[in-house]
Amino acid sequence: MSLIKINNLNKSFGSNLVLKDINLTVEEKQVVCLIGSSGSGKSTLLRCINLLETPNGGEIIVDGQNIMTANFDINKFRSHVGMIFQSFNLFSHMNSIQNCMIGQTEVLKRSKSEAKAIALKYLEKVGMLDFANQSVKSLSGGQKQRVAIARALCMEPRILLLDEPTSALDPEMVGEVLEVIKQLAKEGLTMLIVTHEMSFAKDVADLIIFMDQGVVCEQGSAKEMFSNPKHPRTKEFLARILR
Amino acid sequence: MFLTGSKIPADLLGGSWYIYQRYAPLFWAGARTTLLISLSATVIGLIIGLIVASIRNVKFTPKDSFFSKFIKKFMHLIATIYIEVFRGTPMMVQAVFLYHGLRQYVMWSPIQAGIFIVSINTGAYMAEIIRAGIQSIDDGQYEAARSIGMTNTQAMIRIILPQAIRNAFPAIGNEFVVNIKDTSVLNVISVTELFFQSNSVAGIVFRYRDTFLVTAVIYLFLTFTTTQILRAIERKLDSPRGFGGASQSMPGNFPFLKRKEQKV
Repeated sequence: MSLIKINNLNKSFGSNLVLKDINLTVEEKQVVCLIGSSGSGKSTLLRCINLLETPNGGEIIVDGQNIMTANFDINKFRSHVGMIFQSFNLFSHMNSIQNCMIGQTEVLKRSKSEAKAIALKYLEKVGMLDFANQSVKSLSGGQKQRVAIARALCMEPRILLLDEPTSALDPEMVGEVLEVIKQLAKEGLTMLIVTHEMSFAKDVADLIIFMDQGVVCEQGSAKEMFSNPKHPRTKEFLARILR
Repeated sequence: MFLTGSKIPADLLGGSWYIYQRYAPLFWAGARTTLLISLSATVIGLIIGLIVASIRNVKFTPKDSFFSKFIKKFMHLIATIYIEVFRGTPMMVQAVFLYHGLRQYVMWSPIQAGIFIVSINTGAYMAEIIRAGIQSIDDGQYEAARSIGMTNTQAMIRIILPQAIRNAFPAIGNEFVVNIKDTSVLNVISVTELFFQSNSVAGIVFRYRDTFLVTAVIYLFLTFTTTQILRAIERKLDSPRGFGGASQSMPGNFPFLKRKEQKV
């Protein structure tokens, strides 16, 4: 059974329909990259998956459970679904390790010592161990994003959603973050990534989804998508971006 | 037996100095009461403000049942009425009305009534200050908190409010300074604060001008000292931290109340 199954998902902001009848299947351990121009609904789709946006219709089935039913425990669900934001959104009144611990102690009710050990483990994994006690305000963009990834990993998520994880970074810092994400992909973490980094998408994605104006235009493996796009909009987009 | 005033030097400074020396214990007892009321009322007001601002910040979600929507709306309404009423009427009027109005039900001393009145008055202002503080926090902080599974309340207490309070700290401190001065209106319910005491002294010596110079200087001393202390705390809050292993206090403790170095 597939891990995520989205059926006829609709989302509108006011009268503006941003997602139209989205159908999508994500298998366990699959890395899915969502590409498309800005305003095409990629981020909204991602945010619908952990219900940061409430969809207007359709269903999202994760692990065989419809997450849009009224009595669904959203908070418990979210604790298993990591989210990485374009603007990092680290808790700015805390240092790196506190950022990694707060979710564990508050939501997963782990003891402080256990949370600390896990936090250190994941900070090391993203190469931020030396900055564990440093205030997040003093970190560079790339470092912030790596701490944000560690924070998400500390919750030991089944799915990681990444919303343009490198778009707010200086070009020279993009690499360090993509390296970490590639490593996670190798380890078999299920990920949905909204990205504008085409070569990265080509590298890690098992499935690429091209969206345009709220519709999934085309999906396929990286190979077929980049070498042989079928939809005219995909062709146009890729021609523009892969010059 | 003539007026006591006859022994007092006629000039302003000489007269003031004489009155101060003679009645210093009365002035300082008043100043103590003023500080007691304004400090405790500021703290209680801050707590009220935090609660009211949090209520006003509760968001409606499409999943809410009719009942919880009704409760939320009702709480919003109450909070708004509270803020509008207490910010829209003079504290002096509130003091007279509440002190006498509630005396049938609670036998309270003027000082207790004073603390109560200044607290709820400050609470209304604090609610607006905290609301502004909350609004200054990027939505991303709330989203990030929710995305790791925190409830609305957890996100509020652990993530939003500590940052909101820090951002609003100058305004919160300012309320304290304002309260030091504004407690003077409590003389209408005979709270023996600095103004009331001064009035008594002035009545004894019959020299209003000289007495109230002393009063003004004491008020200025109180507010000036307070302002300096608040500035020092503010500087400490703003100081760059994080280098050399210096870590902040654990989340949840308000950083300015407890900023000992803590190893996590």
